[in-house]
Amino acid sequence: MELYELNLRSAAEGLKGKKFSAVELFDACLARAEACEPHVAALITKTAEQGRQQARESDERRAKGETAGSLEGLPVILKDNLCTQGVRTTAASKILGDWRPPYDATAWALLKKAGAVLLGKANMDEFAMGGSCEKSAFGPTHNPHDLTCVPGGSSGGSAASTAAAYVPFALGSDTGGSIRQPAAYCGVYGFKPTYGMVSRYGLISYGSSLDQIGPFARTVEDLHLVMSILSQYDPMDSSCFREKTYDFTPCKDGLKGKKVALVKEFQEFTLDAPIADAMTRTRKVIEDAGAEIVEVGLPVIAKYAVACYYALAMSEAHTNLERYDGVRYGYTVSDAKGIKEMFEEVRTAGFGAEVKRRIIAGTCLTEPTRSDEYYVAATKVRTLIAQEFAKAFGGADFILQPASPTLAPKIGESDVDKMKEYEADLYTLPVNLAGLPGLSFFTGYAESGLPVGLQLIGPRWSDADLLNAGLVLEERLGSPKIACALEGTKGGL
Amino acid sequence: MAEELNFTPVIGIEIHIRLKTATKIFCGCSTNTEAAPNTNVCPVCMGLPGSLPRLNIAVVQKGMLAGMALHCTPRQKSLFYRKSYFYPDLPKGHQITQSDLPIMAEGYIEVHDSEGKLKKIRVNHLHVEEDVGSLRHSAADGRLEGAATSFVDYNRSGMPLAEIVSEPDMSSAQEAVEYAMTLQRRVRYAGASEADLDRGMMRFDANVSLKCSDGRWGNRVEVKNMNSFHALEKAIEYEIKRQKKILLQNGEVLRETRHWNDAKGVTTASRAKEFYRKFIVEPDLPPLMIPQEWIDKVAGQMPEMPDEKANRYVKDWNVPQEVADVLTDDRALAEYFEACVAAGAAPVRAANWVRTEVLRVLNEKQISIGDFPIRPEVLAELVKRVDDRRLSTTQGKEVFDHMVEKNCALDEAVKDLGITEGGVGGDALTGTIQAVLQANPDVVEEIKSGKDTKGKKMKFLQGLVMKETKGQARPQEVAEALTKALS
Repeated sequence: MELYELNLRSAAEGLKGKKFSAVELFDACLARAEACEPHVAALITKTAEQGRQQARESDERRAKGETAGSLEGLPVILKDNLCTQGVRTTAASKILGDWRPPYDATAWALLKKAGAVLLGKANMDEFAMGGSCEKSAFGPTHNPHDLTCVPGGSSGGSAASTAAAYVPFALGSDTGGSIRQPAAYCGVYGFKPTYGMVSRYGLISYGSSLDQIGPFARTVEDLHLVMSILSQYDPMDSSCFREKTYDFTPCKDGLKGKKVALVKEFQEFTLDAPIADAMTRTRKVIEDAGAEIVEVGLPVIAKYAVACYYALAMSEAHTNLERYDGVRYGYTVSDAKGIKEMFEEVRTAGFGAEVKRRIIAGTCLTEPTRSDEYYVAATKVRTLIAQEFAKAFGGADFILQPASPTLAPKIGESDVDKMKEYEADLYTLPVNLAGLPGLSFFTGYAESGLPVGLQLIGPRWSDADLLNAGLVLEERLGSPKIACALEGTKGGL
Repeated sequence: MAEELNFTPVIGIEIHIRLKTATKIFCGCSTNTEAAPNTNVCPVCMGLPGSLPRLNIAVVQKGMLAGMALHCTPRQKSLFYRKSYFYPDLPKGHQITQSDLPIMAEGYIEVHDSEGKLKKIRVNHLHVEEDVGSLRHSAADGRLEGAATSFVDYNRSGMPLAEIVSEPDMSSAQEAVEYAMTLQRRVRYAGASEADLDRGMMRFDANVSLKCSDGRWGNRVEVKNMNSFHALEKAIEYEIKRQKKILLQNGEVLRETRHWNDAKGVTTASRAKEFYRKFIVEPDLPPLMIPQEWIDKVAGQMPEMPDEKANRYVKDWNVPQEVADVLTDDRALAEYFEACVAAGAAPVRAANWVRTEVLRVLNEKQISIGDFPIRPEVLAELVKRVDDRRLSTTQGKEVFDHMVEKNCALDEAVKDLGITEGGVGGDALTGTIQAVLQANPDVVEEIKSGKDTKGKKMKFLQGLVMKETKGQARPQEVAEALTKALS
């Protein structure tokens, strides 16, 4: 077994047992990344120098017997909307240019404090706006299971690089499904924590009230480990708070005696056949594990969640993106006639088409004469959605549903019908509207070789319970294999 | 015909004051205004990608104190909003402010109308918000348009402001100025703001319209850029005159924003088009929920306000109203006076000393009471000594001036000036009296034999003793001691 193939726990144990050094692990991962990158293009920036230096320091610490924490010497890839001090951070946009943040995002600072070393910054849809990782100023990322397919998005680079074993784990962000959908497309586990569980400080905002940082890994247990590090209260983020401290110690009784609900309204919607099959199989597995399958109704969500989500996300996004004016950092022009022209030229050239579309939509939705009808109405619908979920969780511990109605689409296919593209997020975005945790888990492979993922969601702050349920699902459904399109099995390589 | 028309000005004011906190409203940067450009900045007040605001609760406390000083009511729940517009001094492209549900609701300020009667000017609300950076342009007119180079300093970005919005209840420039001055005094008293105009800590915008006796009502004009009471008064007067002229010619007052040009003394239509402003709820700050106990705690920090203080001086201490008004104009001065009283000085005497002597020195030296060299307990002691006639009034003033000049202790000043306190008294006085009696045996004999029926001889001896003591003996003590010596 190659070092890069190790999952997080095995790699941690190997380092602890001094079977290999952090530098050896880092170099193996970097070599794997370099071999795959020409085909997968999951990274915007590789941090070979800094990362190897961090790995060296980790080895030195370990030699002295003073390990930093439970991620000592373990390489990670961060989505490129997480600020890394001194390391270029782009949010996959031209408008940020060569910006090097003067500070670390709290999530990265916590990983670093626990000993993690940075291998690179992952590609994404520009400012996390998209579900395919094609809308990046740096070009598309390819699905490592089939290079002609998208990895999903917006955290496509994080999902693809975890699936292809550049690293044992990566961080992404999820505003409407941006962790869970690419995890499903790439055949890895992806976790979107409860809103407020992980500090957003240093995450470049898209929809502030919806954004949440979370991990990707190739086992559920590894998600437990990363969450135990990330779930810290942070005074730098006013939406980060605690009802209590949360214990992310894995527990294998996660489904016994639980009620798992299927959503009545969703059953009328069409799913790709492999996903429908996976739903049936998983339902059976859940029952076998000692849980009861029940049904809940989410009529408001089925009907209004998509419109509500896009109204709010775009309204917040357009104000979050007002700061990119070329005055202080990033892309700018030097020959504009006046300040107004400067703003116009910078923003016209700096933003991609999808970002502009959402800025314009957000501007219209909050325009004083329309605001009540759209923006304000959406805030009210959001309250109804949260109430509907709360009611549903009165009669169920978890809800089982797809992470996407389709398997990973071909590159270039998903941008054809805008409304259809937005509607594909129906299974993921209600979770963000209500601030719930959601786990995207692997169920197996379709005949095409593409992975099939599903989603389990729980009430707010049930994060640990959800991951424990995920452990049972992984045990019964099987763990994913490392994506190997490169070895010529799929996609013509 | 036109001359017979009457115009009633309708004036409302928006006042921004800088709240007095050690750090900015949404980050931990210092509010020190002396720092070199762009040194009191961090990712938050620079609006860097990924940074998030976090509310400094001290700003809420100071905003609440300012509002309470204006009789406003605190809200237990309030919200923050994003107000969007593009300008280089606004690093996020939106300002975090309040709109619906500001921290403080309805209040009022009392001013005198043209007949000298008290009139309540209603305060609509007080809200807290962040200040923007400051710009400097290379263009001759100091404006952004046409400037070859512009500099931005973000030290001011994120400074805590309170905006206080009045109802349009004022009807003259004088009322507006009194409103602004009273507001300044009261927020200073509350310790909420230094409200120092020279340092840009208090700025005015006025809304002016005219109601005509023929039923016409002119459009409202917003006048911006007034940074002094004088400018506020002149700008409103100018605007009233300008609008009156338009209405007299049956013209229409345009609804617009005008800029006060202090140098030329005119208002000009703003060149910049009205910004297109949108508001959304600030998603990075949860609704601010303030427990009643916290509000009560802040209310407990509210000091006595100037009017109430002056009334107390008059009622409890018999200080003349006019003196009480002067003493309470500045909270620090009032506190100085009260400290004198607390140290045992008689209130009316202390009031007069502070009113005349202390204020004279402050004016002469152009210093504030905080820098005044004589501590209130020391002044109280001086006042007491004059009251006890250990020092004459003239001597007291000499000692006072000496202490101010030399910054020395009371006893040291007395010594430096060669004053024997209480004149010559006790053993020294007995000695002097004995010497005088021995030098004048005839007079002593006359008095002892009861011939000094009119007391003339006694007066003569008293005069001699006073002369011997260079006037430093207290006449009554001399008289008593002489009587005793001769009996």
